[in-house]
Amino acid sequence: MAKILDKQRYKCAMSAMQTVQAIERAIPVLHSGPGCAQKLSNSSGSSGYFSPNIYPCTSINERDVVFGGVKKLESTIKHSLDVIDADLYVVLTGCIPEIVGDNTEEVVEGFQDAKKPVIYASTAGFKGNNYKGHEQVVDAIIDQLLERSDIRVKNLVNIWADVPYQDEFWLGNLRELEKLVKELGLTPNTIFGYQRGLSNIKRIPQAEFNLLVSPWVGLNNMKNMEKKLGIPYLHYPTLPIGAFETSKFLREVGRFARVPEEKIESLIAEKEAYYYYYIERYADLFLETRVMSKQFTVVADAQYALGITKFLVNDLGLFPAKQFVTDDTPREFREKVCSYFKELNFGIEAEMSFETDGYKIHNEIKAHDYHGYPLILGGHWEKEIAKQTDAHFLNVSWPVNERLVMNSYYAGYDGGLKLIEDIYSVARTRFN
Amino acid sequence: MPYKIAVASSDGENIDMNFGAAHEFFIYEVGEEGEYALLEIREAQKEAGGLSFCQDGCKGRGCEGSHENQPRVDSITDCRCVICKKIGFHIQKQLEKKAVGAFDVEGKIEDAMEKITWYFHRMDHHQSLRGMANETLIGKEGRE
Repeated sequence: MAKILDKQRYKCAMSAMQTVQAIERAIPVLHSGPGCAQKLSNSSGSSGYFSPNIYPCTSINERDVVFGGVKKLESTIKHSLDVIDADLYVVLTGCIPEIVGDNTEEVVEGFQDAKKPVIYASTAGFKGNNYKGHEQVVDAIIDQLLERSDIRVKNLVNIWADVPYQDEFWLGNLRELEKLVKELGLTPNTIFGYQRGLSNIKRIPQAEFNLLVSPWVGLNNMKNMEKKLGIPYLHYPTLPIGAFETSKFLREVGRFARVPEEKIESLIAEKEAYYYYYIERYADLFLETRVMSKQFTVVADAQYALGITKFLVNDLGLFPAKQFVTDDTPREFREKVCSYFKELNFGIEAEMSFETDGYKIHNEIKAHDYHGYPLILGGHWEKEIAKQTDAHFLNVSWPVNERLVMNSYYAGYDGGLKLIEDIYSVARTRFN
Repeated sequence: MPYKIAVASSDGENIDMNFGAAHEFFIYEVGEEGEYALLEIREAQKEAGGLSFCQDGCKGRGCEGSHENQPRVDSITDCRCVICKKIGFHIQKQLEKKAVGAFDVEGKIEDAMEKITWYFHRMDHHQSLRGMANETLIGKEGRE
C-alpha cells in the first residue's frame, strides 16, 4: 500500500467530487462525515454555479456508525432533488459508510424514477486516490446512465483525458485535443467543462470510438465501455506536447478513424510549418547553451512525467535525468508506463521510478549531477529542492500553488510553444 | 472497565423521550463483556438548558454549543453516552465537551443497548467496525 510520508501528491478517492463538478450542472451528494468535502476542496477554479465545497452531505456521525446512515442518505438525496436545481446527482460515499456497510446502492436505486438522474459511485478513501475515484465516477456514468445504442454517428469520437482539477490544465488540454481531432475531420465529444454536460453524456453511446489520452487513468473505463456499449477504443498513452508527439498523435488517431492519408499529412505539414516558424524565430535563444539546463527532472503524475519528458527530449533536445511518477500508478500498469519512457528519439531512454515519498525524491535529485543548473518541473513541493540545487523550476503538477491556470494548456502544437514560453521565462530570469 | 449508559424513556422499555423533555433517565451499567443491567432511575434536572447565546464568538474554534453550564448535562456526566429520541445540536456539543456521546434513535431500549454495547465492546478491544451498521453483512451471530 502506498504511503504518503510528506509532500502529498494526490487526495483520497472522494475527491472525485471534482470530476462531478467538472460536469456542468452535476452535483455531488456526499454520504460521508462532515468535513470531508472541506478537506478535499482546495482546488483552484472550482466555484461557480455550485460552491466549491458546500455540497449536500449526510454528515454522518457516531449514531450512524452504530445504527446505519441509510435513512439520512435517503432524506439527503430526496431534499437535494427538491431544493437544488441540477441535472445530475452523483452520490459519493466516504470511508465510514463503506466500512460499516451502508447499502448505498439500494438507496440510490430507490430514486430511479426521480425527475433527474441520481447515480452512485463508491469512492471510499481506502479504495484508492482521486485518480481511482475519477475512474469510479466515469464508471458510474457508464454503468448507471448509459445504454448501448443502435445508432452510430459517423466520425463521432469521445475524448477522455486526465483528471479534472487534479490536472490544473485539464480544461485547456481537453479543448485543444478536441480542436486537433476536429481538424482531422472528426466530431469530438467530451463531457467536462463549459457547455458540455449531460447532453454530451447522452451522446457517448453513439460514438464510433473512444479516444483515451492518458498513460493509465481511464483505461478501465474504456474497457468497460467496450464491453457494455460496444465502443472500441484507441489508447494514446502520451499527452501530446509539441510538434513531434502531436504529429504522431494526429497520424495515429487519423489512421484509427480511417482519415485519408493525404488529409492527415497535409494537416501535419500545415501545423508543423506554423510551429517551426516560431521555433526558428527564437532559434538563437534555444541554441545559446548557457541559458538552458542540460538535464531535467519531472516530478508529476504519469501524464505529465511522460508527456513533458517526451517533449523535452524529442522537441527541445534536452537530456533526461531521472523522472518521478507520483500518482501511485496501480501495479498492473507500471511495467507498461515504465516502457513508454524508453521510447524516446535518438535512442535515448529515461530512467524513471514510481515514488510518492517526496523526501526520497528530493534526496535523489540532490544526489544527481545535472552538469549545471538542473531543470525541475514538478509540484509546488519541488520549489524547495529547486532552491537548494539552484535549479530552474516550473510548477506544472499538483499541487499548483503559485500560479493561476485558467484556460491555458500544454497539449498540442500551441501547448508545446506555451511550455517553452513558461520554461524559458523562468530560465531568463537568471540571464537578463 | 464497566461503564454507564443513560436512556431517556418514559416507561423503561421504549426510547420515546427527547433529551430536553425527559423526566428521568434510566441508567444502565454495562460490564466487561457487554452484559448490562438497570442500575438506577435518575430524576432528570428540571433545567434542561436552552439555547444561550455564545459570548465569545467561538474564538475561531467552531461552535461548541452555548457555554452556560447545563444542569441536565452535568447530571449524566458519569455516563459514557445517552440514548434519546432526539437531541439538540447545542446540547450535544455540551455533552461532547464532557465526553458523553449521544445517540438519537427510536425503538426498544433493548435493541439499541445491544447495538451500542457491541459497538463500544469492539472499540474497546480494537476490533474492526466492518459491517457494523448492516446486519445482513454480519448476521446476529457475528456479534457473539
